[in-house]
Amino acid sequence: MLYIAHILIILNIYIILVQAANLTIGMSNLLTLCQAAFYGIGAYLGTLFLNQFNISFLAIAAIVMTATGVTSLIISFASIRLKGDFFIFATLAFQMIVFTILNNWTTVTGGPNGISGIPSIKIFGLIQLKGIYPHLIFSYVVAAATILLMRNIIRSPFGRTMRAIRTDEIAVVATGRNASMYKTWAFFISAALSGVAGILYASYIPYIDPSNFTLDESIFILSALFIGGIGNIKGPLLGAVFVVVIPELLRFVGLPTDIAADLRQIIYGLSLIIVMFCRPQGIAGVLQPSNR
Amino acid sequence: MLAQFIINGLIMGVNYSLLAIGFAIVYNTTKIFHIAAAGLYVFAAYMFWLFSVPIGLHSIIAGLVSVILTMSLSLLCEIGVYRPLKHLKATNNVAMIASIGLLAIIINSIAMLFGNNAKVIQTVSSESLTIGEILITSPQLIQVSVGVIIILLILILLKRSGWGLRLRALSDDEILFKVLGYNPDATRTVIFLMSGAIIAISSDLTAYDLGLDPQMGMNFLVSAIVAMIIGGIGKTWTCLIGGLTLGVLQALVSGYFSASWQNAVSFILLLLFLFLKPSGIAGIKTRTV
Repeated sequence: MLYIAHILIILNIYIILVQAANLTIGMSNLLTLCQAAFYGIGAYLGTLFLNQFNISFLAIAAIVMTATGVTSLIISFASIRLKGDFFIFATLAFQMIVFTILNNWTTVTGGPNGISGIPSIKIFGLIQLKGIYPHLIFSYVVAAATILLMRNIIRSPFGRTMRAIRTDEIAVVATGRNASMYKTWAFFISAALSGVAGILYASYIPYIDPSNFTLDESIFILSALFIGGIGNIKGPLLGAVFVVVIPELLRFVGLPTDIAADLRQIIYGLSLIIVMFCRPQGIAGVLQPSNR
Repeated sequence: MLAQFIINGLIMGVNYSLLAIGFAIVYNTTKIFHIAAAGLYVFAAYMFWLFSVPIGLHSIIAGLVSVILTMSLSLLCEIGVYRPLKHLKATNNVAMIASIGLLAIIINSIAMLFGNNAKVIQTVSSESLTIGEILITSPQLIQVSVGVIIILLILILLKRSGWGLRLRALSDDEILFKVLGYNPDATRTVIFLMSGAIIAISSDLTAYDLGLDPQMGMNFLVSAIVAMIIGGIGKTWTCLIGGLTLGVLQALVSGYFSASWQNAVSFILLLLFLFLKPSGIAGIKTRTV
């Protein structure tokens, strides 16, 4: 049971991350490769506050969301107007810089050894989450809140404008809306949510090191999104389930243990290609990933 | 010391330039973000190791075999994945995700077959050449001489030969290319063969000097992409400028500061270029709406 609870917590964290990625990639057509950077910043900042101050989850979440959001503004400010691939390159660079800082700023981040023994989060400053099941319930709450937020964003005028930008940016600009502003906000919210996922991860595991927040992790989140499908709520949900649960199921097929990890990755790669051939819009998506 | 750092940087820069050219000729013409190139890079290094260490062929023959095998794998990626996707009218992003899948398959197959440990090709300590204060090891000498010859050869081919012209035409305007009666698929075949060969040469040269492991591909590819961008997207010779700049910068940072920060510095350089001069040092100036 503990094993299943563990998988479910990880799944909830990935649901938050992939939903956040959907906001930038699926809704506003900004392909980012730095989701894991915000995830990492959130985890490390969250750890800092959990270690130093005895404050509640909501306070930490507010601080971390503001901090990751403001960090995202740095990229937005300079590169939101860059078209297509240049934006990808800018986010790639940001991802690599964040990873290098996490890996090398040993006095604060502990370098490659990471930080261990992180205290778990407190709700309303009173109830400390102890053990795996409280974390499971709490991660469900946060994931559900994220999905609710996304649903509301998609249905709101903001979401409608975003979808319009995705379909035809020039038409949106011609009707007098500031497309860059909308994209900046989408990126801001996405970064803030990834930061929250980071706090959850740090509090649950309770050990973080830079290897969790690499470029590969960003690519992993990106492929989860594209497998599931972009542009709606169901897609990212299914994508997260696909990339987290399917590899675990393969554990029970009885692969030889020494090659199991590699074989799982190969099957994952194959399924990526097969999904792109058979359903380029993703398992539950509504739209094909557009041209850059 | 400064001269030594610059020389080391230039030698590494030649390697980056080669890989950047291998990535750029695919990227400029097909607009595919060919991440699987990192997989090809690792594949080439392992084939080189396989034929030169356990099988025991001479390094030059092992290198040739590795180049030919990598060219076939590169073509297999094109024929098996990219071309059918293109005929299904898939978008660039779909091709990129499929490329991530290819990368996962290639790298993990290699890890499964050969293990995750690092391997070395050249076990005896190599002779070195001393000019004044500068010391160059013989693998470095091979790297720089072979690398420069190959780069010059590619650039001349691209500028002077018929298929170089077709390649540039395809990257300019695919529809016009088809209207004039050329076959884009045939040109793409040549592009992927060429790219595979260049990636393999770059990989073999580095693996001979520094050894190999299954995870090295992404690191080198990311540096090569940085080299491509700071040189300027849209042309091929600019990769050389970008690669050399990046190599020297990284060598200076690791020489005077710390090797672990060299990635951060090269990406800050990339960000500066993206913000201030997205066309790179000598790229085509484009304006998109």
